[in-house]
Amino acid sequence: MITGIGPVTPLGIGVDAFWASLRGGVSGVRPITAFDPSRMKVRIAADVPDFEPEQFMGAKAARRMARFAQMAVAAAQLARADAGLDLDALDRSRLASVINTGGGGVTTIAAETETLGRGGPGRVRALFVPMMAPNMASCQVSIELGLQGPAITGAAACASSIYAFIEAKQIIEYGEADLAFVGGSESNISELGIAGLANMHALSRRNDDPPAASRPFDAERDGFVFGEGGVVCVVESLEAARARGARIYAEILGGGRTADAHHVTAPLPDGSGAAKAMQRALDDAGLRAEDVDYICAHGTGTPLNDASETRAIHAVFGEHAPRLLVSSTKSMTGHLMGAAGALGVAATALAIHHGEVPPTINLHTPDPDCDLDYVPNRSRVAPVRAALVNGFGFGGQNGVVALGRVAS
Amino acid sequence: MSSIEQRVLAIVAEQLRVPSDEVTAESHLLDDLNADSLDVVDLTIAIEEEFSSDDAPIEISEDAAAEMRTVQDIITYLEDHGAA
Repeated sequence: MITGIGPVTPLGIGVDAFWASLRGGVSGVRPITAFDPSRMKVRIAADVPDFEPEQFMGAKAARRMARFAQMAVAAAQLARADAGLDLDALDRSRLASVINTGGGGVTTIAAETETLGRGGPGRVRALFVPMMAPNMASCQVSIELGLQGPAITGAAACASSIYAFIEAKQIIEYGEADLAFVGGSESNISELGIAGLANMHALSRRNDDPPAASRPFDAERDGFVFGEGGVVCVVESLEAARARGARIYAEILGGGRTADAHHVTAPLPDGSGAAKAMQRALDDAGLRAEDVDYICAHGTGTPLNDASETRAIHAVFGEHAPRLLVSSTKSMTGHLMGAAGALGVAATALAIHHGEVPPTINLHTPDPDCDLDYVPNRSRVAPVRAALVNGFGFGGQNGVVALGRVAS
Repeated sequence: MSSIEQRVLAIVAEQLRVPSDEVTAESHLLDDLNADSLDVVDLTIAIEEEFSSDDAPIEISEDAAAEMRTVQDIITYLEDHGAA
């Protein structure tokens, strides 16, 4: 059960700001201000300009963390508050932290490499390793909140935090924990981070019109927009949630994971790896195709992904496919990489809770290869009984989580 | 107060994230300012960067850093090693 949501995103910090922007179709894409981007091919990103770590942790703790870890901690604190959790009333050894990331502290590595070149080895910070290590996403959350059960960080590129939810569900079902803080975090809007993706031709170069740059499923899409953020949810068993009278946003019904075994960046053209992951999630959840009302698409806005994902949805859902609502929150938030799946889970849990599906913005020119109902440009009020959240990563990792409404 | 002392107090406050009015030359790094060994290493690196110039580098050895207990120890080290 998802009982708390903590978003630190380009659309806002905290569940109310996040949902208001999401249903309102607001773009979080802006010109880059974190550094001078004038020599870059890509000069736009979806950052979180109003993030102040000291609002969520002590100043000294914040100084010892890279920004991705600060965002994980902030998201976890927001989720704890949203869930109304009193951690002191719980057995802390039964509380897990499962927070994944794509790149961890790449920006810290870049900065200290520069220090090494400029000042020599004696100038490299003593805190370099514990700042850049990817596992600090879950470990700093464990330290700051006092969670003494399993603390896990895994990397599965853009599917990372989909994998986190599947992992957490298994941990709770296996009996290793009663409650978990689950999600993803990513913050590498730096020259190094942007340059690598730009040279791969993965990023939109619509520098002169940032809010229109991320346009999944539109014929004029030209790549994704690099985003940052942390999104963490509180996940607990039905018994635990009921026992403390918690509000339940949605239930995690099941998950599916596969690998394409094909290429480091391109998906299988027929989308069969993604299709198998969706089918496994449906089977694991005990859902039939016609039980699903909504798919929170991976929908990056790259030419290859959106066509391949559409084919995969057709393959799995057959004649039910045209009746599905399918939308890409990345049209608004950009692509949060390791945090993208968690953002999708949070958005979908809120869609189920409110009975309203967020839109795909910037969808104006239809693409014949993308022929589903993508909820263009305006949110849609519609009951959502069950939904899938897709995440497909570089390396060919596919992850899908199935969420469902809980009868109150 | 010497200019070296002023600059050291400012760096200590910034590095250890303590209010500047709580840092004095007598402050004990670990007991009063709540630093740990990692903080002290990063503090000495910041001190080296502040007081080094191209023709007069200041280097605080690991052994010397390990001996530093108070803010005054840092100031004394800098004065003894010709920092300006």
